[in-house]
Amino acid sequence: MSTRGPVLRVEDLHVWFDLPGGELHAVQGVSFELHAGERLGLVGESGCGKTTSILACIGLLPPNASVAGRVYLNDRDILEGGESTVAPHRWKDVAMVFQGAMNAFNPVKRIGDQIAEPMELHRTAKGRAARTRVVELFEMVGIAPERVDRYPHEFSGGMRQRAAIAMALACNPQVLLADEPTTALDVMVQAQILELLVQLSEELGLALVLVTHDLPVVAQTCGRAAVMYAGRMVEDGATTDLYHDPKHPYTRLLFSATPDLYAQEHIVSIPGVPPRLDRDIVGCPFQPRCDRAFAPCPTIAPPFVTVAPRHAAACHLNDVALERTQ
Amino acid sequence: MSSDAGAPLLEVEDLVTRYPVSRGLMGTIAGRPRLNVHAADGISFSLRSGEMLAIVGESGCGKTTTAQTVMRMIEPDGGRIRFRGSDITTLSHRQMRPLRRQMQLIYQDPYESLDPRFRVGDTVEEPLIIHGEGGTKDGRDKLVREALERAGLSPSELYVERYPHELSGGQRQRVAIAASLVLNPSLLVADEPVSMLDVSVRAGILDLLAGLRRAGLGILMITHDLSTAAHYADRIAVMYLGRIVEIGSAKEVVRRPQHPYTRALVSVVPSRDPRTGPRPQLLKGETPNAVHIPPGCRFHPRCPQAIEECKSVDPQLRPAGGEGQEAACILVGHNEHLDAEGGGPGAPTATAPGRI
Ligand SMILES: Nc1ncnc2c1ncn2[C@@H]1O[C@H](COP(=O)(O)OP(=O)(O)OP(=O)(O)O)[C@@H](O)[C@H]1O
Ligand SMILES: [Mg+2]
Repeated sequence: MSTRGPVLRVEDLHVWFDLPGGELHAVQGVSFELHAGERLGLVGESGCGKTTSILACIGLLPPNASVAGRVYLNDRDILEGGESTVAPHRWKDVAMVFQGAMNAFNPVKRIGDQIAEPMELHRTAKGRAARTRVVELFEMVGIAPERVDRYPHEFSGGMRQRAAIAMALACNPQVLLADEPTTALDVMVQAQILELLVQLSEELGLALVLVTHDLPVVAQTCGRAAVMYAGRMVEDGATTDLYHDPKHPYTRLLFSATPDLYAQEHIVSIPGVPPRLDRDIVGCPFQPRCDRAFAPCPTIAPPFVTVAPRHAAACHLNDVALERTQ
Repeated sequence: MSSDAGAPLLEVEDLVTRYPVSRGLMGTIAGRPRLNVHAADGISFSLRSGEMLAIVGESGCGKTTTAQTVMRMIEPDGGRIRFRGSDITTLSHRQMRPLRRQMQLIYQDPYESLDPRFRVGDTVEEPLIIHGEGGTKDGRDKLVREALERAGLSPSELYVERYPHELSGGQRQRVAIAASLVLNPSLLVADEPVSMLDVSVRAGILDLLAGLRRAGLGILMITHDLSTAAHYADRIAVMYLGRIVEIGSAKEVVRRPQHPYTRALVSVVPSRDPRTGPRPQLLKGETPNAVHIPPGCRFHPRCPQAIEECKSVDPQLRPAGGEGQEAACILVGHNEHLDAEGGGPGAPTATAPGRI
């Protein structure tokens, strides 16, 4: 790994949504870092705060949200001054492929023109230059350049997803946040899109956050993964370590709930449901569903700490383990 | 009705279902009427009681159409459907009525399939009322409670009074399953029963279906997820562009896939173990729509193994690989993946030649 610091460093990120009945604490202290060329999988069950966390990183939360925490881009906090400090970096340094982006193209506009729009908006290119850039982007994501003047309905699902990726790459970002980029796609097309993302991160040195609820996708695509539960990070480490030596019961159980073509073991579900985020959570949020809960779990929230080299987790079982080894 | 001992619960033979292409939906080909989507284009399979068959394939391959045609929710354009040995292909709506209670469909989306204004108890009772079953209110309540318990919502008192919004996604799907169990069906058709659910609760629903199958129900499961099919189904049928291209025991189909399409499909299914990197064999392009089905083998334009003959010969299912395994590929039997045990004299014969 390079000696340079991380491209993106998120520290103690919190997001609250204002709701008619009160407040929902969607992100409750998320921290992670990302280096150039690195691929990080952000995984967790529906509603755990994956989308909210990455939207916060580029200042795209809805008006009913409030944010706290720091997001450093190359060591400068871009959340510090609110919109005025994030906006210059949005798309130019940190870009996002939205959940469902492939279905969000305007049906009556040519795909090429839609991709050129943000460039003109951000004044990175216009007119003929923008068009040249679109053709370049098409080639980069594997769409035949002669298709620039086609409409969205003339593209297959996979092609529209490639176009959405091209759009995010328009201003040459260093970081790409891809929210469920393959969820709606068939497995063959999924494999094609994942291959493209891997290739982009390798060839352009793009740092990638791949948000998904699909563990196998992350296992096969990302060197590192961060597991979220109830708005918090519960584990972060190399994907091989997460699978072969998990330091949080939730990670282990999530893997055992995932069917695998290559494994025989019985698949087991995790009993119970995640806690409500509009109430204060006392102790470990996973404790009511955990098969290893013990004395401190119902009352003391486990801190998210380094438990092994390049491996962090928020679970009291690791305190016990650490004490024993000391 | 004839005794069903021995006869499969469900037999589907050469089923064809076409949809006319609507002008509105596909503006580009408007002005060229009479085009059809061949959603199911010669489907044959059978299902026994106590068995789970998974139909696997990518979107648009015709799996849902096949399921709905089997349920007589869509009229077939050809072929035969036999339920417990009797032909139901052309039964009228009224003639189907007594059979409907024996064949139940579980939908993909537990959020849409439940009426938000109905309490759990009412939802599960509804089929009894429609079919005039269960006698008195007390009788129906008893059946409702039994169905809830069978669906894993136990103790049932905890659930009968609740509304859908007071349940988790997995619990809602269990309510939908309870509603389909209350009439004591012999066939369940489950169309992507867990794809809308979080992975942490999927196993519970799939175990429930597996348990019902062990209790004697025949289950036809439609899924795009080969890993799920491999874990839970007894047999897998792989569909491509309106056809079953391979069928066989779940283990054999994923361990020793015979058809080049199945092999490619298996190769791109990601493993949860980062070290078990499958080597994806990426096919070019995406499944074409079923309006213009390629001549010869419908898979040949994307097939990495296609030879000249594949452009003209439409291959039929024939024994290949393990016992009972069949693949529709003329190259099957000519490649190293095969061994001698398939296709021997004792092996079941393939579907009669000459089908369209
Ligand atoms: N605009 C909003 N207003 C209020 N609550 C919201 C809003 N957006 C998200 N939430 C809530 O915040 C929590 C986190 O949601 P988020 O969309 O980040 O989850 P996610 O992990 O991306 O889930 P999924 O896998 O379903 O996409 C959820 O409880 C959700 O209901
Ligand atoms: Mg999301």
